[in-house]
Amino acid sequence: MNQRWWIGYGAIALGLPAVGWAIAPALGQSALATYSIRVTSGDDGPMQPDQGLTLREAIELANGTLTPEQLSEAEQALVQPLPAGQGSRIGFDLPVGQTTIALIDLLPEIVAPELVIDGTTQAGYDGSATYDPKFPAAPAVSLTVAEGSEVARGLTIAADGVTVRGLSLYGFRTSDRATKTTPPSDIFVSALAPPVDASPLSPALELFRLDQPDLAPRGVVIEQNWLGLPPDGEFPAVPSAFGVTVFNAVETTIRNNRIQNHDGSAIITGFRADGLQVSENAIIGNGLAGMPDAIRLEGTIAASAITDNLICANDGSGIYLFKPEGATQISGNAIQYNGRRFERAAVYLMGSDHQLSDNFIGYQPGPGVAVTAYPLSHRNQIRGNRYAELDGLAIDLNTQGNTEVQDFQKGDGPNPPRNSHHRRRETGNAAINAPQFDAYSFASGAAEVTLTGTADPGSEIDLYRVAEPGSPYSPLTEPLGTVTASLEGTFSASLALPPGTRVSAIATDPEWGTSEPAAVASVLAADGTQPDLPATPVEPPSCDPPTPPPAPVEPPPPLEPLRLEIPRNVHFALDRSNISTESAGVLDQIAAALLEYPFLTVELHGHTDPRASNAYNLALSERRSLAAREYLIRKGVPLERMRIVPFGETQRRSQGSGRVDYARDRRVEFVFTDVRGLDIIFVNQEADLQLE
Amino acid sequence: MRRNQRRLYRGLLFWLALVLSYFLSHAVPPSTVAQAQSQIFVNQASAQFVGPNGPATTVSNQTQVGATQPPPGPELPLLQITKTADRAAAEPGDVAIYRLLVTNLSTQPATPLTITDQLPLGMLYVPNSVQATPQQPTQAVTTDSSLTLTFASLGPGESVSVAYGVLLTPDAVRGNGRNIAQASAPGFTPVTAAYQMTIRPGILADCGTILGRVFVDKNFDGQQQPGEAGVPNAVIFMDDGNRILTDPDGLFSLANVLPGYRVGTLDLYSLPGYTLAPNLYRIEENSASRFVRLSPGGLGRMNFAVTPTFGEEQS
Repeated sequence: MNQRWWIGYGAIALGLPAVGWAIAPALGQSALATYSIRVTSGDDGPMQPDQGLTLREAIELANGTLTPEQLSEAEQALVQPLPAGQGSRIGFDLPVGQTTIALIDLLPEIVAPELVIDGTTQAGYDGSATYDPKFPAAPAVSLTVAEGSEVARGLTIAADGVTVRGLSLYGFRTSDRATKTTPPSDIFVSALAPPVDASPLSPALELFRLDQPDLAPRGVVIEQNWLGLPPDGEFPAVPSAFGVTVFNAVETTIRNNRIQNHDGSAIITGFRADGLQVSENAIIGNGLAGMPDAIRLEGTIAASAITDNLICANDGSGIYLFKPEGATQISGNAIQYNGRRFERAAVYLMGSDHQLSDNFIGYQPGPGVAVTAYPLSHRNQIRGNRYAELDGLAIDLNTQGNTEVQDFQKGDGPNPPRNSHHRRRETGNAAINAPQFDAYSFASGAAEVTLTGTADPGSEIDLYRVAEPGSPYSPLTEPLGTVTASLEGTFSASLALPPGTRVSAIATDPEWGTSEPAAVASVLAADGTQPDLPATPVEPPSCDPPTPPPAPVEPPPPLEPLRLEIPRNVHFALDRSNISTESAGVLDQIAAALLEYPFLTVELHGHTDPRASNAYNLALSERRSLAAREYLIRKGVPLERMRIVPFGETQRRSQGSGRVDYARDRRVEFVFTDVRGLDIIFVNQEADLQLE
Repeated sequence: MRRNQRRLYRGLLFWLALVLSYFLSHAVPPSTVAQAQSQIFVNQASAQFVGPNGPATTVSNQTQVGATQPPPGPELPLLQITKTADRAAAEPGDVAIYRLLVTNLSTQPATPLTITDQLPLGMLYVPNSVQATPQQPTQAVTTDSSLTLTFASLGPGESVSVAYGVLLTPDAVRGNGRNIAQASAPGFTPVTAAYQMTIRPGILADCGTILGRVFVDKNFDGQQQPGEAGVPNAVIFMDDGNRILTDPDGLFSLANVLPGYRVGTLDLYSLPGYTLAPNLYRIEENSASRFVRLSPGGLGRMNFAVTPTFGEEQS
């Protein structure tokens, strides 16, 4: 034991500054002087007494590792002591046109409690320039990485009550190594964050403790920031890796942020994130080249809540709970257009006692909510949600211990009724039976129709209207009402429904959770016919920020078929996935068409020639589609209108094996679809064919 | 033109030969085939060469094919021995039971009859396990690895059956598993019978076991602690092409692995969203593969720590 101490002292004596920062709070937390600091220089570099005060110097001042006496006179004028009991405040007074702080190295870990870093203090910030709290006004100060540098994290927060407000953070990532680094993020919240990797310069590891909950920072607030995108809203040249990593912190609040364009998840938890509050954020287009899920919850997440967010156009699930401990509450979110790259459930639940209520879940190439069969997941209440345009069940409980690859992504489809008590132990929500209507159709009475059926005794039956035609398991469009099943397991509901309505139902038992939906039954007219209800045109939601309220009302354009001549494929060189100049020209045309007609959506089908292995070609085709998508993203095409579908070598363009045939095979096809039934004329272009 | 005619002529001849040979082979009645089988074919070869004294011819000895053995006359003393066992393959620790059947095919008694059996390496005779029917040996000399039984007399046409147990020791793995029994009597030609038993290494097999886990590493030490969830359905590839899938808890095990240096790597395509985690404690484990020196019969471990990934397009 003594030896260890000596080694520790030796390490400190060797003078690793990071160790000093990390030790500082333990030594002087109570006596930390607090200041009001104004940052006036966007430069970065080692501390030096000069004209401007940098953010690095400001954080060091707040941390107590720098005293005002070490500053120049001009800098000292920017630092005002604050009375004890009040946290330091860092404001910004950057010169006009130099509001971007480009870091060349990691900023010191923030260990000053109650520190407020407030980007809204910068002149030019207009907090009123927003119509929706989910889309805060564009920040005036942006924090990014200097060109040629590699900085893993924007702000690393390790102290209680720190607030980060009104900043734009983007470009934080690390380059490829043999193994990856610890998660790089715009904002990393953890007690004593782990070093980026195992390089010799990393601080001593005795300091990296996870198991002591009292060390975890409490009450960190991250609000009104733009994470992953610069203040102009463009796609950044270097996307960030993750948005907010709540690695080891309790009661973190993430609200009113716009989190966009990350390689990995927008919000990801690590070891401990108890009491995490994620509310009113716009989480758009994340997971582009990494962890695909918008919000990924792992570790302990007791008493966490995800409320009123817009989760849109992310590459995987909207919310994925991976073997967490503790329950979360998910309510009031709009979770739509996710699953752009992986066909996953919009919300994937593992664990027990989660509550999902009043969400809109739609436009997903997978089920709405999936509940895993393993590890045991019970008592998940999934009520009052609205669903639309799903490729699967609205609620899918995995059964019979299904743990194949698909079961952890898309679920396993409708379950058979419980035929053994063993099913309870190997099915999500303890295999609560879906309600079953007594008939496929019910004749309407004079004013009301009486729907009868069977369900688990004592469970509460939520009846739903189903708007989409077709499948007996179409998404549950809107709740109609709730009845309780009798102790014999029958239920009956009288509702005033127009003939032609299709209805479904879910059962909820507080002891077990919510069931899968019932197969659809339809309401017949009194004479036994089933009239077709007029289809109500649905305005598909989008991920765009809200426009100013007094939008000029245009007369709706007549729905006439539009003839559109655009190319629908680009070609690639052998074993390459980069976009050539000719292909860029083609993509420009496609982007122009997509921007001109907002009702067009496109699937990017990647293909390769038949050489090399299937697996390699599948990966190559995915890289090709991703490259094409990235080009279109940079041209401003909204993410939610593009889907990646890699095909590998399975669907060749040609039959032969000549150079031209192979060149034709190496392509990305653009399959346009649209909501209005447009007539599109396609051109088979080969201007960018690349012979090897 | 002439050439074509000649070709045609040759083809016709060939066809004729085929047809003729077909009819000839069917024209011969089956009885002649049987006759031919009992015939004796005499074969002799000769060679010509130019020697120092001019051309010379040398002639080989005569050989006979198809000559059936004359049936054993009453005057020829003949024994027959058959050896079987209750199993074709055995492992160290098993007891195998051998069975010998000796028959006197002649008309004269074999007096006395001696049966010997030399056991192969690593097989031990189980003491007092000899059972003979219908007659009992007058003398039995047994050692650990050999057995000699003497019977008073085996009359013409009589048989004696002997069974005995043999214990396979670990040394049997080094032996060939083949043993030879011999029956002899004065005036008789000794006869032998061999039995080949396959010896499996069984409990002495030197195959090892590899086990491991794929999990989300939260403290980047390469070991799984509470709160670090296992990753289901991750794929590990071994150096010999074996593909292993983790279970829902992220665990896997691989039995019957040949000892030696074994390498496994994680197929990152099987776990989208995750990649190999850095190890902040051991630089060696910052590697895409795991290297195990598996001792014979040993246990090796391959743990893969993973962490959420980003920047997939770089690799």
